[in-house]
Amino acid sequence: MSQGGEVLLEASEVAKTFGGLKAVDDVSLSLKSGIITTLVGPNGAGKTTLFNLMTGHLPPDRGQVRWLGKSIVGLPHWKIARLGIGRSFQDLKLFANMTVAENIETVTERGAWLWQPGGRAAQKARRDKVEATLAATGLGDKRNARAVDLAYAERKFLSLARIMASGARLWLLDEPASGLDPGSYQSFLSLLRRQVREGVTICIIEHNLDIVQGISDRIAFLDQGRLLAEGDPKTILSDPALAAIYFGERAV
Amino acid sequence: MWAYIINLAVLISINAILAVTLNFILGYAGIFSIAHALFFGVGAYTATFFAMKFGAGFLSATAAGMALAALISLALALPALRVRGEYFVAASLGLQMLAVTVFTEWKSVTGGIGGLTNIPPARLFGFAVTQPEHFLLLSLACLGLIILVIRALVRSSFGRSLKAIRDDETAAWAYGKNVAVIKTTAVVVSSALAAVAGSLYAFYLSFINVESFVLDTSIQVMAMVIIGGTATLLGPVIGSVLILLLPAGLSYLPYLPVTEIGSIQQIIYGGAMVLLMIYRPGGLWGFQDTRSSRKGGAA
Repeated sequence: MSQGGEVLLEASEVAKTFGGLKAVDDVSLSLKSGIITTLVGPNGAGKTTLFNLMTGHLPPDRGQVRWLGKSIVGLPHWKIARLGIGRSFQDLKLFANMTVAENIETVTERGAWLWQPGGRAAQKARRDKVEATLAATGLGDKRNARAVDLAYAERKFLSLARIMASGARLWLLDEPASGLDPGSYQSFLSLLRRQVREGVTICIIEHNLDIVQGISDRIAFLDQGRLLAEGDPKTILSDPALAAIYFGERAV
Repeated sequence: MWAYIINLAVLISINAILAVTLNFILGYAGIFSIAHALFFGVGAYTATFFAMKFGAGFLSATAAGMALAALISLALALPALRVRGEYFVAASLGLQMLAVTVFTEWKSVTGGIGGLTNIPPARLFGFAVTQPEHFLLLSLACLGLIILVIRALVRSSFGRSLKAIRDDETAAWAYGKNVAVIKTTAVVVSSALAAVAGSLYAFYLSFINVESFVLDTSIQVMAMVIIGGTATLLGPVIGSVLILLLPAGLSYLPYLPVTEIGSIQQIIYGGAMVLLMIYRPGGLWGFQDTRSSRKGGAA
């Protein structure tokens, strides 16, 4: 398994407190390019909050987040998105009343202006991207269906299609495979693998340990807001203390 | 009878402009504004002001109204759109109430409760539009032009961004949309176009007063949009035809006492809204859109 290339996104000693709860407690984590890093840990470990801190959806109370070495703390999250950090959501947050094709098309379009820059060539490039994404995710024959009318697995693929078409270099995926039937999730995982080969970097929150084992190049283990361990899958998954925490027998 | 029909048609086309422009933000961007009558009023008073004080023609008077409406809407949109939808409703309500006070009290410009009379006819390319038939052509041309502008906008990348924001604001941010700027632009465009209706209204009636620009008007326009079908191009036009024809139609029913028409109208409005929400939640015209996309989904 690859250990990854340069560091794309680096969180150093980030912390976030909600009321009295330390949701993320001095976590330092580097996401290296070209690999899949998995965040595991029991519910409430702070995995999604860590995503929110990395993407600017929440400002950290302290600590730094750097993209390619430059601090991105304080940037509005739409600007962070445009740097090349894409994310998916646990509840998908699809554009429900737009068609599948529109869901994909709109993320290829930049800016708030009434017209897109680049003229016909750029327009054709965007259209090709939409087609390629529809083909890669198997949603081609659903292109005119509204997102809200899709079946569950199709919605999951659409949320992936959206991040794919956005051109993000780093994908932060929040439980993308949960609830998929075995057939769908096999094609889902091979789709992720193919994307990584093509140069995408992925950080994924996942509960299913079979998937974690099958897909991870590195694993970061969080519990109660703290990063307990980080390393290659074999080491982390065979650690009995971590297993005990994961399955709810809290270590003494 | 002919004059009556022409008059009704002019009023329908003016109201259709209001409904179509409100639908642009309500239907496509999910922004619920109840200050639309205010921008209608700003268009009417500004056009009147420039026509009476400076002898401005239709185009320049309308342009002035649009500019002022755009400016005022910016004042509403900039602070209010940074927060969530409910606050925008509250802010727009506040601005609408404030505007009614200004329309009533700023007597030197608005004429107060009594309003402004003897507004000169609209002049266009050197001709004074005095015939109602000609005015109908003018207002239909404005309506057509505005529908074309909105059609171009909603089919552009801007329109897709608006719909994305309507469907999920958090996801829109996360995919690099500058939500605040996009929503503000939409409100400004919608308000400026609503001012065109105000200008037409003032030149057509040659008399305006505050009663046309109160909260009730905002709500009636919203009803037109919802009954006709939000996020459709023609739904709001159909909605405005129905809402304006209803009282006209009722007044022809011989067995209804004239004094009761008002309350019967309210009963019919209420009943129609309830039935609509149950059987056609997408509005009368919205039904077709849903069907066609479902068909695409099943294919």
